[in-house]
Amino acid sequence: ADVTWNVSLWGKRRAFTENVEKLAEEVAARTDGKFELKLQYGEALSKSRENLDGISFGAFEMAQICASYHPDKNPSLTVLELPFLGVEDLETESRVAMELYKQPAVVQDMARWNATLLMPTPMPQYNFAGKGDAPTKITDFDGMRVRALGGIGSLMEAVGAVPTSVTASETFQAIDSGTVRAASFAPHAHLSFKTVEASNWWTKNLNPGTVQCPVVMSTDAYNALPEEFKTALNEAVAPALDHYIKVYDDTYAKWWKTLEERNITQIEYSAEELAAFAEKAGPIHDAWVKEQSAAGLPAQELLDFVKAQIKG
Amino acid sequence: MTMRGNAAASGPGRPETYIRFDGALGVLENIFNLIAAASILILMLMAVVQIFGRLLFNMPVPGFIDITEQAMAIFAFAGVAYCQRVGGHIRMEILLGRITGRPLWIAETIGTLVLAFVVFMLIWGSWYHFDRSWTIGDSTMDIRLPTWPSKLMVPVALGLLFLRLMLQTYGYLRLVVDPSRQPVAVPVIEDVTAHAQHEIEDAFGDDAIAGETK
Amino acid sequence: MTPFDVGLMMTGILLVLVLIGVRVAFAAAFTGLVGLIIHFSLLQGFDRGFFTALKMAGTIPHSKSVTYSLSVLPTFILIGFLAFYAGFTKQLFEASKRWLGWMPGGMAVGTVFATAGFAAVSGASVATAAVFARVAIPEMLAAGYSKRMSAAVVAAGGTLASLIPPSAILVIYAILVEQSVGKLLIAGFLPGVFSAAIYIAIIVGISAWRGDAPPIRGFTWKQRFESIPGTLPIIAVVAIIFCSFFFGLATPTEAGSLGAFIVLIVALAKGMKVKQLGQALHESAKLTVMIFTLIWGVLVYVRFLGFAGLPDAFEAFIVSLHFSPWTTLVLILCAYAVLGMFMDAIGMLILTLPVVYPAVMALNGGEGVSAADSAFGMSGEACAIWFGILVVKMAELCLITPPIGLNCFVVSGVRPDIPVQEVFRGCIPFFVADVLTIGGLLAFPAIITILPELMA
Ligand code: NA
Ligand code: NA
Repeated sequence: ADVTWNVSLWGKRRAFTENVEKLAEEVAARTDGKFELKLQYGEALSKSRENLDGISFGAFEMAQICASYHPDKNPSLTVLELPFLGVEDLETESRVAMELYKQPAVVQDMARWNATLLMPTPMPQYNFAGKGDAPTKITDFDGMRVRALGGIGSLMEAVGAVPTSVTASETFQAIDSGTVRAASFAPHAHLSFKTVEASNWWTKNLNPGTVQCPVVMSTDAYNALPEEFKTALNEAVAPALDHYIKVYDDTYAKWWKTLEERNITQIEYSAEELAAFAEKAGPIHDAWVKEQSAAGLPAQELLDFVKAQIKG
Repeated sequence: MTMRGNAAASGPGRPETYIRFDGALGVLENIFNLIAAASILILMLMAVVQIFGRLLFNMPVPGFIDITEQAMAIFAFAGVAYCQRVGGHIRMEILLGRITGRPLWIAETIGTLVLAFVVFMLIWGSWYHFDRSWTIGDSTMDIRLPTWPSKLMVPVALGLLFLRLMLQTYGYLRLVVDPSRQPVAVPVIEDVTAHAQHEIEDAFGDDAIAGETK
Repeated sequence: MTPFDVGLMMTGILLVLVLIGVRVAFAAAFTGLVGLIIHFSLLQGFDRGFFTALKMAGTIPHSKSVTYSLSVLPTFILIGFLAFYAGFTKQLFEASKRWLGWMPGGMAVGTVFATAGFAAVSGASVATAAVFARVAIPEMLAAGYSKRMSAAVVAAGGTLASLIPPSAILVIYAILVEQSVGKLLIAGFLPGVFSAAIYIAIIVGISAWRGDAPPIRGFTWKQRFESIPGTLPIIAVVAIIFCSFFFGLATPTEAGSLGAFIVLIVALAKGMKVKQLGQALHESAKLTVMIFTLIWGVLVYVRFLGFAGLPDAFEAFIVSLHFSPWTTLVLILCAYAVLGMFMDAIGMLILTLPVVYPAVMALNGGEGVSAADSAFGMSGEACAIWFGILVVKMAELCLITPPIGLNCFVVSGVRPDIPVQEVFRGCIPFFVADVLTIGGLLAFPAIITILPELMA
């Protein structure tokens, strides 16, 4: 290969990394193998939390990050992590993210790390799986210990739940033993952390929010690319995202099957209940706008823009 | 394993200024190690509060993992210079234990300079790491604690270690110059018997009296 | 130079530095840093590459130390330092003696039993041997046991502390290979008990044959039951730690903290002075910082290996060898036995695992392999746990073998009237017992894997 980019990833190859896998494949195909993306799994190049640091000083050229792992490194991206934005599917998540990435405030935010956003890793909604009596009303969450981080944690706190610190890998045991009663993850994570095996209910349409996990690249490295490689990279994004969403459909197929096999109650909240949740999310949005505006971000504009984009 | 050279050596060749620096630095190192020790005790108590708060009052410590992680920098780094002073960082002494006199002190000097070099570089590098979190921003994922105080701990603790290493380099160099001098304030190699005695003292604390059989 | 060449060269330099006595943590960090500088200079030129490497290395100490799962280490270390002050040893030994003294070699059997019990609150083998040398040896000598046997039982019994949870070395292994800390700790329990059982069998056999280690009879049932209350605090601590892991009631850090807290309360009630508490804390802090420095120092080197692609290459090399997977595994374990004779157990593990562990996993058929498709007849996860216990057992074996089997020196140090050669000679049967144990663990991996499997 004429140009080789190292890509810093954490964990093993999984549904979450399929957009990057496909991207590498497409880029190689479009450049006859002259531009290679070398995927390095298992935090071999950097811990997930420090991927932006690595990009900033040029240790590698591309990485997957999650905004919520370090909210103050990328405040502009956390707008998409606010609770109850009303995103229902991965296509919307993906489309809105791509639009957001073009906003000048976001571009500037990432420029502090010498980083350019390439594409999202659209994540499904972080619905809760839990054990015990199914919470069918907003009041049922009162006093419930839950594993929920960041914005979703704030939302749960607003409805009276008690966010409790548990690492992801310890969540299965935590639910099983009653340390927490429920945990908020995307379906693939409920499967891989086995939380579903300890649970008997799942909040099918609560859709409290999700995390924002873009693929970023070093701006310097990108600018140094020959024109045809830049084109190849940009053209590879659409097929990579399509592939990702298709793979995620398989995960969903597995998810529905698991729910049925395990007889897990799928809670569907009524419109009134959802409205009651949304009401609790309002102050959290306001607080975010206030805090980020004070820090110099056009926060209200970003939030309005995102909401408009979600409506379509 | 290693123990410290005898600082009580007296006589005309006694390096007074050097011993005074060693003493002052030692006080600072002790304070840092005390802070590390206290942080272990506090972590333990906080975890006990977390368990009972959760079980009895449904009141876990908010952001327990975030707090623990950031506080870990204290016991992971604060005692690093103290540990070097008392020869606590492990090494292999199979070869060093077989040489004596000037060759030994030359080897010790080289070893100390390797440490000093890498520690200096890591102070520089970890300062950049701190600086990014200070100027651009960084926070933990759950309760959004700023990470810069914890990151600052690294260059500070390594800075103290660097001073200790400079002092030890001097301490070994004066032995290279004149191997007949008494080793002062530098770790010297123990044979395995003395090392065992050391381990015994560690296990028993002040009660240990060499040769006690009851 | 290719990145791989740089990786190989720097690994050679690391070995030289460690051999000439540079402190392991910093020798590794030095090698990693210089390796990164060469690596990035080749890619970006020295002017830029130097700073890329510097900044990359500079992120690692903080990034790798500030990891929640590692926070269990100081709590385990503290339990070990406090357990002595809490006076657990004497009571355990007394109870074991009264209940098990009737067997041939009964005093020695009681000692093994008590060291196994103490192992459940102590994470350090050497400290366990030191403590029991004081409590158990005088009584064994008084009962007419030979010096050689009395000393050897204590030296060997001490090695149980690193297998039976809590164990700092198992935590470090778990974190290095990214397996569940709780599962590794639970996995050590049965092999520790198995080891102790083989020790006891050997003692009973030898004593019955030679008749020089008389049983201790004459304890009434009343006396036996009277010895129980004294052991209750230790039983409580063990139960709390074990149940917390096994049933997931608390994370390892929480369980370790609760254990340390209880031991602290008991120790204070038994009259531990504030000064002694301060000393225990000071020593815990020293050991903690030593281990953390070792971890991040070696991880600077491992990060460089990641860029150089060396673990992949070693893995390919091991898999390409013409030996069968079993032969290769046994050779690797033998290499650990040799290395362990000259190196501290924790240093040895941290230094070698980043390269050796992926190779062993590859031998078995990969991380995600199923038991049916694997070379050793177990899933990737089970293999990771199994190998961890085997390696720790190898490291423990070296504590009772010449030339620098530290436990023997410690016992001889507490008892200057017993020369260290005598202790080594006395340890020969226990060495045989350990070889049998390792054979048993190789032949019946279920001893290791069954408890962690029951957890999930
Ligand atoms: Na133990
Ligand atoms: Na050894």
